[in-house]
Amino acid sequence: MSIEGVLQEGFVTTTLDKVINWTRTGSLWPMTFGLACCAIEMIHAGCSRYDLDRFGIVFRPSPRQSDLMVVAGTLCNKMAPAMRKVYDQMPEPRWVVSMGSCANGGGYYHYSYSVVRGCDRIVPVDVYVPGCPPTAEALLYGLVQLQNKIKRTNTIAR
Amino acid sequence: MSTRLERLSDTLRNVLGARIDKLVVDRGEVSIEVAAVNVIETARLLRDNDELHFEQLMDTCGVDYRDYGDGIWRGPRFAAVSQLLSVSKNWRVRLRVFAPDDGFPVVPTLTQIWPSANWFEREAFDLFGIMFSGHPDLRRILTDYGFVGHPFRKDFPISGYVEMRYDPDQGRVIYQPVTIEPRENTPRIIREENFGNVGNG
Repeated sequence: MSIEGVLQEGFVTTTLDKVINWTRTGSLWPMTFGLACCAIEMIHAGCSRYDLDRFGIVFRPSPRQSDLMVVAGTLCNKMAPAMRKVYDQMPEPRWVVSMGSCANGGGYYHYSYSVVRGCDRIVPVDVYVPGCPPTAEALLYGLVQLQNKIKRTNTIAR
Repeated sequence: MSTRLERLSDTLRNVLGARIDKLVVDRGEVSIEVAAVNVIETARLLRDNDELHFEQLMDTCGVDYRDYGDGIWRGPRFAAVSQLLSVSKNWRVRLRVFAPDDGFPVVPTLTQIWPSANWFEREAFDLFGIMFSGHPDLRRILTDYGFVGHPFRKDFPISGYVEMRYDPDQGRVIYQPVTIEPRENTPRIIREENFGNVGNG
């Protein structure tokens, strides 16, 4: 069966993979997980100047409504079980962005007795955003990188 | 010493008398040292006496004097230090209480006199292991549930004894012994003569 004639009538053809990935990149709803000063930069990224809503990124108060977790700040030992619980409550597919030095590898508190040396010891991380704290632009860049990563994945055709 | 500080230290000496072990005026601040057995009585006087009237306790913290001044310290190791403020008289005093026993430091609680001492004393207990006898609820306040040790003691290693990771087999976050090399930086102290002496006190 040919699709030659159909294209001329205003239709495009694509793969189902691309459509699904496109819908996923367009509505990344992050779980609000601000832990320290990085949260302030995350809030900057979400407010009117950088406006994450343009990318369809809307902060959610519940892990059950979100598919992205931005770990923004120092992850302490006391907080780690709570963060893992929140991550486990998120429905799949889910992604994690580690924001800032502390979440990436402990940062300033690497040798401390009470800080987890990188949130990747607790949850799998997709994108690391460096900085102390990273600027709102840096976080935005990281989120765009995550979108690119999602676009590359094979959802149906494995 | 300004007349105001003189007046405060004279009043403290008159009201408290022999209960004061030591009174120091330095850098515009008055500090008194009181033995642990006299603390409750002294604190009550400090609060209720009409000439002193310290109605507020701003802070209580623990101090570990181990290695203090390169080992010149010859006294008890732990102290609980409280900062008192009188709003009506507009003056402050620092109250220092040493715990007599280094192995099991105990000082009386001040919660019955100033209720704000409650959480400060819990913090000092958590970080220094100072017991406050008579405290209504002496639990840890800052460190993790089930934390072992008192991290602000000077013999506590900076990286601690345990670290945290997620264990996929058990499906939960677990503690394991520290895997990183310990690293302790001793800062080089450069202090000139008359450092910080700006003419007050």
